[in-house]
Formats: sequence, C-alpha cells, structure tokens
Amino acid sequence: MFSIQTKNLKKHFDGVYAVDDLSIKIETGQITSIIGPNGSGKTTLINTLSGLLEIDGGLVVIEESEKLSKITPHEIPSFGITRTFQNIHLFEQMTILDNILVVLTDRQVFRAIFETHQTFHLKIAEEVLTRVGLWEKRGQLAVNLSYGQRKLLEIARALAMDAKIYLLDEPFAGLFPEMVKIISGIIKELKQESKTVILIEHDMGLIRELSDYVFVLDSGKLLAEGKPSEVLAKREVIEAYLGE
Amino acid sequence: MNIIPQIVANSLIAGSIYALIALGFNLVYGATRFVNMVPGALAAIGGYTVFFLFNRLGLNIYFSVIAGVVVAGFFGYLSDRLVFRKLRSHKASNLVSFVASLGIFTMLQALISILFTSQFQSVLSVTENPKTYQILGATFTWVQGLIFITSIAAFVSLALILKKTSFGKAVRAVSDDEEVSKIIGINTNRLISWIFFIGSCLIGLSGIFIGFDIGINPTMGLFIILEGATASIIGGIGNVYGGFLGAFLLGFVENFGILKIPGEWKPAIAFGLLILFLIFKPEGIMNKKK
Ligand SMILES: Nc1ncnc2c1ncn2[C@@H]1O[C@H](COP(=O)(O)OP(=O)(O)OP(=O)(O)O)[C@@H](O)[C@H]1O
Ligand SMILES: [Mg+2]
Repeated sequence: MFSIQTKNLKKHFDGVYAVDDLSIKIETGQITSIIGPNGSGKTTLINTLSGLLEIDGGLVVIEESEKLSKITPHEIPSFGITRTFQNIHLFEQMTILDNILVVLTDRQVFRAIFETHQTFHLKIAEEVLTRVGLWEKRGQLAVNLSYGQRKLLEIARALAMDAKIYLLDEPFAGLFPEMVKIISGIIKELKQESKTVILIEHDMGLIRELSDYVFVLDSGKLLAEGKPSEVLAKREVIEAYLGE
Repeated sequence: MNIIPQIVANSLIAGSIYALIALGFNLVYGATRFVNMVPGALAAIGGYTVFFLFNRLGLNIYFSVIAGVVVAGFFGYLSDRLVFRKLRSHKASNLVSFVASLGIFTMLQALISILFTSQFQSVLSVTENPKTYQILGATFTWVQGLIFITSIAAFVSLALILKKTSFGKAVRAVSDDEEVSKIIGINTNRLISWIFFIGSCLIGLSGIFIGFDIGINPTMGLFIILEGATASIIGGIGNVYGGFLGAFLLGFVENFGILKIPGEWKPAIAFGLLILFLIFKPEGIMNKKK
C-alpha cells in the first residue's frame, strides 16, 4: 500500500526545474527519507504535495484513490496530510496553547463563531505539548520562544493535527542533541502508530537510524532510491553530495 | 464655566466613532496586510442607506440603521469576493491591491454622487434629536450617548470573540500566517471574505453615526480612512486593541488641541500626531518591535 505517489510530477520556476518529472512511491506506515544536495528540490516537492505550490505537470496520488492534478492547501488535512516547514512557521502573536488549540477546534466559519474550546481539547493540547516539553510554557507567545522550542512547537502542532501522513522538512536542523532525541523519539513513535513519515534530512547518521527507505534527488530528478545502507553507499550519491 | 468636561465628552464621542473605524480597518488590514480604501466608501454607503430608508422612504430608524450596517458589510464582502480574492490568488503586491481598492473606492463614491447628488445631507435634524443629557457638567445628545455605548459594546464583543471563540482563533491565525492557516485546514479565502463583512459592518456603522452627528456627503470616505488609518497606526496597525486605544487618543488630542488653536487645524493635529508616531514609534502603542 502506498500513501503518496507522484507520477511525472513537475514544478518549475521560470527556467529552474525544481521538481522534474519525478515519479516516486511512498510506502504506508514507513519512514521515508528524501535527501539530496541544497537546491535539489526537496522542499519544492513537499510544497507541491501540500498544495502551497501549483502542480505544473503530472499527478499526485493519495492513498491509491485520490488522483490529483491540483491540490488545494486547506483540503490537505482532509486527506490526512500535515507538514512542518524548513523555515519555521508559527502563529507568532498567539500563545503556545492557542497555536495548538486553533488546530483542534472547529475551523469552519459558521460553526466556529460561537464555539469555544472544551476540556477534551485542552487534554489533547496538554498531551502533545507535554510530549515536546512545552506545556509549562503554554501561556507564552510563540514569538518569544527560542529556535529549538519553535521547532518543537511546530512538531507539536503537526501531532495535534492527528494526521496519517507527516511531511517533515528538516525537523532536526540546528538543534541541540537533547532536542534531536525528543524529535527522533516522536518520529519512531509515529511509525509504531502505523503513520507514514516523509522526512527531509541532511544528517546521514539520522537517516541511517530512522529511515526504512530513501529517495535521493538531484536537480529535481530522482538520482537513486532504496534501503539507506545501499543508497548511501552508491557512488553517484556520494558524488552528488561532494559535488556541491 | 469650566469647559474641560465638555471637551472630554467631545473627545469621547469623536474617539467612539474613530474606534469603530479603526476596529473595522484593523480587522481587514490584519487579514490582508494592505491599506484598503474601500471601507471609506462603505462608511458613506452605510450613511446613505440610512438616509434613503429613513429620510426618503420614512422607514423605522432602527430598521434603517440595521439595513445600513448590513448593506455596508455586504459591499465589503462583495469587494473581496470579486476583486481582492483574485488578487490574492495572483499574489498581487500591496501596491497593486491598494490601487485596486482606490479604484473601487472612487467608483462607489461616484455612484453615490449620481444617486444622491454631491450635496451635504443631514440625516437627523435637530428636532429629531432634541433630548440632551448632562453628566458632570458636559452636555451631549442621546445619539452621542448611543454612539459611545455602541462603540464600547462593539469593541467588547469583538475582543471576546477574537479571544474566546474558535472563529476568533482562526481570524487571528489568518492575520498571523496565512500559509500555515491553510495547512491546518482553514479555508482562508472564505474566512477573509467574512472578515471583510464584519469589518465593513463596523465601518458602515461609523458612517451612519457620522451622519447622525454631523451629516453625510459622498466624499466623506477619504476622511474616514485617514482617521481610521491614523488611529490604527498610533495604536499598532493590524492590532484590534491598539486601534481602539489609538482612536480615543486621537479623539482627545484633536479636541484638546483646538482648545488653543482654530478648529480648522483639527486634521493637521491628527496628522501631526501620526507623523510623530511614524518617526518615533512606528510600530504603535500595542505592537511589539520586530
Ligand atoms: N519560490 C521559488 N521561486 C523561485 N525559485 C525557487 C522557489 N523555491 C525554490 N526555488 C528554486 O528551486 C530549486 C529547489 O529548491 P528547494 O528549496 O526545493 O531545494 P531543497 O532541496 O529544499 O534545498 P535545501 O536543502 O537547501 O533546503 C532551487 O534552485 C531554488 O532556488
Ligand atoms: Mg529545503
């Protein structure tokens, strides 16, 4: 079973082919890493999958049933997809707690007007914020958090979405070892819960430790795929990284 | 006779009207991040709707006011559905959006002039508004009292909705980061159109109140946007609480200012204050420095 497949997916910016005729299949319930040198199109791929960028060609197939050539971003939660951002995006002027509550409560215009959050919303918020160690700080504005805490809050928000498919764009970048540990623990737990994780990462140690399968991109094209130990040993992969 | 109480009362009444404008202006600005001229014209539309229903057709005043508010809100909603939503989807620059809003603003103003002439009209004559009250040496009419109470009530309900309800969280979320709002499942286009509706209702109400207090003419919108923008920038642009504060500060500074200098200088006082803020505290009273 595949949770996401791309078929000849294309995304270009003027002359740059950021995602170039890419066909990959992401197995459900596994941790799949997407690696590649800077500018190889990893973030663009995720932006296209989450609807933030329009698809210029090809298809995205979700859960082997939804064939999409156009993805509307606010509909991706209904496909069970959520994501984090390489350049962290939070609701800066809202408290940590509200950053989580806003995804738990109703987001439909009319149903939301008189709805306030309930005890069970707070319970879930407590659970996800405790998991990343931010519950004690719940009253603080997001803008006042440290870089590492911001990364953790973004993960917590993704957890609160209770999705089936998690697209994580460099969740470990720039973090201290103890925070890396928290997040890699969460990713392993997601796998135990049979969730699908798509992980963009540069650290080869973490890729070996976490991923079941790896896709290597170079200039928007698929350079190699396979089990981490095999892929990372391939000459063209090593060259692509050294050649930047 | 001590004139200070009267000036305080005048400041509060002016502040109340500015507060309604600033609330509407900040809601829309917060969600879209460009200076939108359309609400100015919507204030005139609110005022003229009441003028038409109440003065021309002789309908009930309360009904006319509610109709005026809703008509203004509806035009605001429509401006987003037909124009600004399209511009957002093209990722149009703020300048382009501003110019588009200026175009709609001018069109609506022209439409009002064609329908009602460009003459100044008073909505309530003195005979319809005879009752005055006195508190602590200040005299004010019941309409002025109503303006004050309504603006406080509008602010309190808006603040409660924004703080407490899921809708309010979604509004704050969209104003904060539209991209993530989409990713978490908020239909941002739909929400922003409704923010336009609510903001335009508030501005429409301010236009109606100006009609009651002073009178209306088709070009009143420019003044309204300028006062609204000034109050918002002083208070912290895009910040609903700041706008409310800025509105009353503006009301006080203007009214105490003309104590010593001729009344013609009132707008100059407002813009003097604006320029001082732009130079020394551009983020306004309530916004944090980035
Ligand atoms: N919005 C955009 N407009 C124009 N070009 C873009 C845009 N986004 C990405 N690109 C270009 O597309 C290519 C792929 O960029 P992308 O960000 O997807 O790479 P990446 O693999 O995520 O790199 P990194 O490891 O540095 O995060 C680059 O050449 C980049 O300059
Ligand atoms: Mg990237």
